[in-house]
Amino acid sequence: MASVLPRTPEGPPLALRWPPEDNRIPREIFTDPDLFRWEMDAVFTGPVWVLVGHEAEVPQPGDYKTLSVGAVPVIVARGADGEVRVLVNACAHRGARLVEGPRGNVLKGGFRCIYHMWTYAPDGSLLGVSLPDDFPSDFRKEDYGLPRARVAVYKGLVFASFHEDTPPLEEYLAELTEGLDRVLGDGRLRYLGSIKVIFRTNWKLYVENIYDGYHVTALHTGFQVVRLRSHGGQRLVPNYERNGHLWGQSRSTPREELQPVLRDMTLFDVRTKPTTDHNMMVVFPSGVVTDYFDTIQLRYVIPLAVDQTLIEFTFFARADDPEEVVRHRVRQGPAVLGPAGAITLEDAAALERVQLSSVARGDNVVLKGTPKRFPPYRHVDEAPIRHFYQAYRRLLGVPTEEGTR
Amino acid sequence: MKAPEDLASREQAARELLARYVRVVDDPDRIEEWPELFAEEAEYRVVTRENLEAGLPVSVVCDDSKDRIRDRVTVIREFWGAGGRLEDRHYNQVRPRHVVGPVWTEPQDDGTVRVVANFAVWGTLAADPAPRLLAVGEYRDLVTFTDRGPRFRSKWVVLDTGVLQDVFVYPL
Repeated sequence: MASVLPRTPEGPPLALRWPPEDNRIPREIFTDPDLFRWEMDAVFTGPVWVLVGHEAEVPQPGDYKTLSVGAVPVIVARGADGEVRVLVNACAHRGARLVEGPRGNVLKGGFRCIYHMWTYAPDGSLLGVSLPDDFPSDFRKEDYGLPRARVAVYKGLVFASFHEDTPPLEEYLAELTEGLDRVLGDGRLRYLGSIKVIFRTNWKLYVENIYDGYHVTALHTGFQVVRLRSHGGQRLVPNYERNGHLWGQSRSTPREELQPVLRDMTLFDVRTKPTTDHNMMVVFPSGVVTDYFDTIQLRYVIPLAVDQTLIEFTFFARADDPEEVVRHRVRQGPAVLGPAGAITLEDAAALERVQLSSVARGDNVVLKGTPKRFPPYRHVDEAPIRHFYQAYRRLLGVPTEEGTR
Repeated sequence: MKAPEDLASREQAARELLARYVRVVDDPDRIEEWPELFAEEAEYRVVTRENLEAGLPVSVVCDDSKDRIRDRVTVIREFWGAGGRLEDRHYNQVRPRHVVGPVWTEPQDDGTVRVVANFAVWGTLAADPAPRLLAVGEYRDLVTFTDRGPRFRSKWVVLDTGVLQDVFVYPL
């Protein structure tokens, strides 16, 4: 398999114990540091498209933001030519990190390395170096641009891939595009800000939690308190034979029918959509796209260590929203789906507890909805988790055996 | 109670309000008293310095009315209540500890007092023996004087780090 970045040698480095049944998940995969390092290569720089942002986060030429693709620190930057690129955030000379801050603009001046004052344009090309006399005679600036990921954009969503064999983005997304279209509309958004928080859990536990419809009413007590129910819906797993994205659809109780336990129930308003339909999607392996109530949110899942994961919650309005609608989205978003939100804080507590006892070995088991082998599942099922791990195991080179539960 | 005539008494009252705030938010059994530290028209905001300085409107917490401030207690007690069984309220098994640094007070011409103070909040959890540094930053408060004494008209919690080190249950 070809790669844009140098890779570590092929093949899983360790003997993984996988139960034959695909609804059993060995807990070692949440605690093994060797596996974690392997995943950073095999999954995040493997043949996948990793969601790294929306074009609205870097609207002007020279705008940039930073995050990581797995373990690789990257800069998402809009060049002077208007094109968005994903650059490795390390000087091509001696590797110093180029930018520290979360975002900024370098249209004037470019990215300058503090170590030896090498300077790069927003498109990653090397503009100049300090004191180049006595360099080897064959030194050419063109050979020392920042490594770039492949980039593809869908409805403003920016995806990066460090692998040459990743299929074209639309083929990779498959039927998930239908869900993305519903959330993103024409793709023109306005960035409202982000909240970053460290979850003390393995990245896979964070992601599989979104595939799990079973925990929603059990753990998120707020839904019960206001009697917010899901009136039907389904959990689809688009492209499950290859990538196993998630598309959870549900329709919730209208606000007027909720138990008015809060003085200000605007938290649960749906003003910008004709129905109370919600979409909750995972673009495998680590991108989350959702339009719960009136909140348009992307999340980037960034593994920090085997037991620590940074989640960046980013919030958006539509580009043409009147200011009043923008204010509503700003008030509602973090209050519902942020780390201090009414119905998301519990995930951090539950996932930390799964992480803490993963050292107990044994298997986590997936049951609800599993008598059905293939999607669509009901919105309350946890069965889609199996497809996340099937896609994950294919990348690791330890695929599931067919015909097992 | 009107604002005390002399500035020193006003500043002293504002400092005492902040001290009372710390006593209340550090005691999980007293969280019901928290909204009463705010005026009837009040806001409680937790923002990152990152969003604030970039002019981005998203807050970590945006309780922009007394109703929403009161609702926060309901969310803590009922929503994060694990089915309402007190013994199952694991997420609330945290003992916060605020350490509030030099308190700077500035009496304003309209009788209010601006209060600025450094803070660090530690959390000790049942799930983890090591205390966690939950947040570091600065309070930017405005204290007004009501019939019932000094109250926060606004309390802005400005977080230095753009990355929250953990989720937090009780107000910062």
